[in-house]
Amino acid sequence: MRRSAGAAALLVLTALAVCPPAAGRAQETTTLRVWHAYGQGSAEETALRQAADAYVEAHPDQRVELLANAFGAYLSKLESAIPTGNGPDLFIDAHERVTHYVERRLITPVEAPSSGRFDASQLEALSVEGRLYGVPLSLKCAALYVNTSLLPEAPSSLDALARRPHAEGVFPLVFEAENAYYVAALLHAHGGRLLDDEGGYAFVGPAAHATVAEVQRWVESGATPEEATGELAKRLFASGHALSVISGPWLAPDLPDSLPYRVLPLPPATEGGEATRPYLTIEAAYVAAQAQHPAEAAALADFLAHGPGALIRAKAGRQVVADAAAFDDPELASDAFLSTFRRAAAAALPMPTHPHMRLAFEPAGQALRKVLRTGMPIDDALEEGARRFRDLTRPLPGPRDPTLALVLVGVVLLGFVFAMLRRLKDPATRAALVRSMPAYRWVAHAFLAVGLLVILPLFVGALTSFFSGHGTDLHYAGLANYAEILSARGGELLGHGSFWLVLLVTVLWTVLNLALHVGIGVLLALLLNRPTLRLKGMYRVLLILPWAVPSYVTALSWKGMFHRQFGAVNALLTALGAEPVSFFAHFSTAFTANLVTNVWLGFPFMMVVTLGALSSIPKDLYEAAAVDGATKKQQFWRITAPLLVPALAPAVAMGAVWTFNMFNVVFLVSGGEPDGSTEILVSDAYRWAFTRSNQYGYAAAYAVLIFLILVLFSKAAARGLARVEEKKA
Amino acid sequence: MEDGELVVLVGPSGCGKSTLLRTIAGLEIPDAGEVRIGEREVTRLPPRERDVAMVFQSYALYPHLTVRQNLSFGLKLRKTPAARVSEVASMLGLDELLDRYPRQMSGGQRQRVAMGRAIARRPALFLFDEPLSNLDAALRAEVRIEIKKLHQSLGSTMIYVTHDQVEAMTLADRLVVLNAGEVEQCGPPLDVYDHPASLFVAGFMGSPAMNFISAEVADGELRAPGLTLSAPEDAKPGEVLLGIRPQDVERADAEPGSAAYRTPAGPGRIDFVVDVLEPMGFEAYAHGRVGETKFIARLEGDAVRGLSEGDHVALSVPPQKLHLFDPKTGRAL
Amino acid sequence: MRRQRGSLLASVGSHVALLIAVGFAIYPVLWVVSLALTAGGAPEAQIIPWPAHPSLDNFRAVAGQVDAERGWIFGQQLFNSLAIAAATTLAALAIATPAAYAMSRFDFVGKKGSMAALLATQMFPGVAAAIPLYLLLDALGMLDTRSGLVLVYATTAVPFAIFQMRGAFDAIPRDLEEAAMVDGATRFGAFVRVVLPAARPAMAVTALFAFMTAWNEFILAATFLSREEVFTLPVVLQRFVGEHDAHWGLFAAGAIIVSVPVMALFYWLQRHLVGGLTSGSVKG
Repeated sequence: MRRSAGAAALLVLTALAVCPPAAGRAQETTTLRVWHAYGQGSAEETALRQAADAYVEAHPDQRVELLANAFGAYLSKLESAIPTGNGPDLFIDAHERVTHYVERRLITPVEAPSSGRFDASQLEALSVEGRLYGVPLSLKCAALYVNTSLLPEAPSSLDALARRPHAEGVFPLVFEAENAYYVAALLHAHGGRLLDDEGGYAFVGPAAHATVAEVQRWVESGATPEEATGELAKRLFASGHALSVISGPWLAPDLPDSLPYRVLPLPPATEGGEATRPYLTIEAAYVAAQAQHPAEAAALADFLAHGPGALIRAKAGRQVVADAAAFDDPELASDAFLSTFRRAAAAALPMPTHPHMRLAFEPAGQALRKVLRTGMPIDDALEEGARRFRDLTRPLPGPRDPTLALVLVGVVLLGFVFAMLRRLKDPATRAALVRSMPAYRWVAHAFLAVGLLVILPLFVGALTSFFSGHGTDLHYAGLANYAEILSARGGELLGHGSFWLVLLVTVLWTVLNLALHVGIGVLLALLLNRPTLRLKGMYRVLLILPWAVPSYVTALSWKGMFHRQFGAVNALLTALGAEPVSFFAHFSTAFTANLVTNVWLGFPFMMVVTLGALSSIPKDLYEAAAVDGATKKQQFWRITAPLLVPALAPAVAMGAVWTFNMFNVVFLVSGGEPDGSTEILVSDAYRWAFTRSNQYGYAAAYAVLIFLILVLFSKAAARGLARVEEKKA
Repeated sequence: MEDGELVVLVGPSGCGKSTLLRTIAGLEIPDAGEVRIGEREVTRLPPRERDVAMVFQSYALYPHLTVRQNLSFGLKLRKTPAARVSEVASMLGLDELLDRYPRQMSGGQRQRVAMGRAIARRPALFLFDEPLSNLDAALRAEVRIEIKKLHQSLGSTMIYVTHDQVEAMTLADRLVVLNAGEVEQCGPPLDVYDHPASLFVAGFMGSPAMNFISAEVADGELRAPGLTLSAPEDAKPGEVLLGIRPQDVERADAEPGSAAYRTPAGPGRIDFVVDVLEPMGFEAYAHGRVGETKFIARLEGDAVRGLSEGDHVALSVPPQKLHLFDPKTGRAL
Repeated sequence: MRRQRGSLLASVGSHVALLIAVGFAIYPVLWVVSLALTAGGAPEAQIIPWPAHPSLDNFRAVAGQVDAERGWIFGQQLFNSLAIAAATTLAALAIATPAAYAMSRFDFVGKKGSMAALLATQMFPGVAAAIPLYLLLDALGMLDTRSGLVLVYATTAVPFAIFQMRGAFDAIPRDLEEAAMVDGATRFGAFVRVVLPAARPAMAVTALFAFMTAWNEFILAATFLSREEVFTLPVVLQRFVGEHDAHWGLFAAGAIIVSVPVMALFYWLQRHLVGGLTSGSVKG
């Protein structure tokens, strides 16, 4: 009964999933699709909706359909959707990607807002080659949040703030010290830049040195927390454990009402020094290149930018609107929070829109982490960062003449077709084919589905490994991607970040994981298999738990537990009298953290497989052995182990493949820290594809190489397995 | 084969008897030849259209169905009312078990369900594929009799495959002995037993197996080391293989203990040397040698009293119980 | 006497070992729960995963949103996730089981090659396939639909399901379906009525794997879906992690809600899990 109820529920849900939702849309109205990546349930999202409603009220022939996207998937989604005509009419994003969008032809030029007062520098930041591409909506930059009950007077400088005496567990100056976005504000004060005007990496030299030294001093003196994340900074400040925090307008909605605080533009870094200039991000509305209704989209952008649209966003969304005229509104003028941010924004430095900007944060952050976590000499760390940046921005392989490859492919294809035809002429083959016909009816749909939706995309993906560049300047590059990977991009073969070193780490990762998965899994299964054990069911359910909870959540939980200052693991170590460990500062500890997490995730599977295998071993074997006088230990090694090996072998082989490609854990726990050394092949491939200038061809070549390695491995494993079976027979 | 007949296919494992049965059922398609059931040519028909029922060696009970559902499975598929189920169940004594699952039953009970499933169908032809080989000896004998009764009461046509010649002998209206894919002999069981057409049939039917001794026919006599017997009249001179069933011999020497007790065999006698005795009360098997050839004799219980290893015993055989085979072709002479 | 003491010691020993393992297994999950129950509060290096001031605010914020225009949007998205995962499960089983049966029972030209190809799909990292898949779904006109996502998830789950089910079918005696065929079933009828029910444990486990594939996936869902009313829960969860700020409390609360159905399924199927997984993997 229960079974059929479950099956019925499945069916009903399926039917509902496949049925298209009723689409009762009037034909006359124009629907504008607007995409944004505001947080779920945030005031900004609400305000955008209200502003859109106001627009629709003024234009009753139009509808606005808002779509909130996950920030992590926003860019790749825009890049896929707009060229294929599935994109929005209008989308909202930060200004620093404007060059990228123009290069990819994702956006079209717009008119400047029809009224309101906009800063010329902001409009310029949204222009490429003299043409305006985005309508500025709001401004975001960092400022100093001060807890007024702990720190009534305004600090004269960040350094003075950092030197303030403070109670145990209270930090005077909280900010994400390892995040180059925040550190850039100090760098600017020291006269430095992350990126020079030509898009070159500039986080080197005396200014950078002075900046990093300063940050290092603050962290080491305990004024600034270690390994601070945005979440940590927020919680410290919200709970009264921080005198101040450097953050942007996004922090305010998460602060409790009871917290007495105010916002100040960032004070100078040192007493009487240069002004601290944070980066300014201008959030803008872009009309998408393939918009269905570009004119209406532009009108909506214009509506949102100034006047009532801007007022709604400022009042309901607490946005620092770009339109200066909005601040003539008495309510806004008297709003200390918004006007402070407005002042801070005026002093801030618009983030360069050079495509290299996004690539500068990763190496700069890595340099900071090297110094703050491992104590590496500053200049060495900076130099390493510069090297890393050069690596990321190396020129892509140039186009090659595809004729030779096409001819080769043609010849191979012809040969294949010819061989097939010859085989078909053979009557034995034909007879075999006729006999296979009934079987084909059983497998045809599966082969079709898997062929079309799994193998074809993988094949096309593999083909992109012969191409370089992206979007419109995609070109055939022959084997250049492979050559670059296998030659470690011209560096040392086992040098930092080289394919071979990462492969070595991946193999180590796979072997250790499997050994522990199998060891722990078998041990627990043996314990659970004891016939006299009580509470067996309860143990089993609890031990399967790691498998049942989505790994993207538990991996993050583990990452939190490995935090240097606030992690449970270090709390435990401290309670045991050991020194706390900075887990992500060294390869060995970061690798261990990944390993522990993945062992935790993977042992239940092996345990369950072993339990199944154990239950199929006949009991009388043990009785016979016991009669023969075998001890428990001998029984295990003589009976259990030999019978388990063939039963576990396929699961281990499968587990090896899964572990080899276990992206989630590495990406979420260590994130490759320190300095990409704990990266495995698949997470490295992901970075090349998505976080490092979208080098899809390069990432695809990685994927193909991973595939080839695994195929070789499985061939070898199958041969080994066959040998084991042979020996048994 | 005739309507209403019970034909037993018997032969050693691997002789093709199961394949033949499966071909009749339609589970395998023959490379050549055709299969007919009644008037119908069914060679290419799928099993479901042949109106046959089959009892498998493993019983092949549907593990997820109760006994009742197992019995009515075929009926439901043919849209036949399932009333017959209870009838069959009471016939086989399964009434109490109708709501059990196969895993909750003993081997004998499962076997009954497997038969019941076939009976409920009332097919044109029953097929049994070694249905008793998974039962213990006592149960096997019991079920064997039941099958025979069943056949008599249902009067339906049955084909029964077994490697057990006792089953074959007791059940068959007609026996088909198969070896290596070929039919060796076909006929009523006693005919086959009494007049085996080949060396193979002779050796296969009967337990313990027939003794074979290489002999020579000359001058109206059969001669081999350790025996001299008068040859059947129609026997031609030359090399033959002489077959003697263990059951067909008896002691020809005087009573145990008499003076003639240890007299070596003379003409018309077999000189049998005892190695091991298996007394079973009313009868005994004596394993030993005639000349250099191994020989088994079934003797009466009293006839082996006092015998021990190495004793010579004189045996005699009625002439009509001698089987002669061509040593080259293996056919009966 | 000595024997008994020995077994008492062994019994205590195994309970201690199992308790340690259970602690290891549930500790990080307890941290997720604790995070979900924490609304603000100071971060502290603590060993016991329990918030100082537990509150359900995060759960309320995640699941309780009702707005006038779209109604209870969380409910809608929960339903999407359930429907998509259920449909994926059914589709994957419907596609995979007949193929697995053929792989187990028939010989045909290209069988070895297709097994190798199926295995190969498990080894190729999916990184490179997302964009071609997007273009493909776009061409099929299924880009922004639940059915499109179901199709993609189901086919992703099929290769592993075929391996799993083939192993299970190999372990089922052929006699069973032959009996059914003699009893009057077609081969397909025998497959549906007899072979599939006999393979139920393995089917349950395969279904669980397929369900989890669909239930936890977010990269493809976030890329393919462009209407909020068809979003799945993992996509919604990702929206708690922004560029500058991440709401881990909300994320954890959402994650727990997402985990509950899977945990329930695991609990429900754990009996089958042991047998079902092995029959597949041992003989596959």
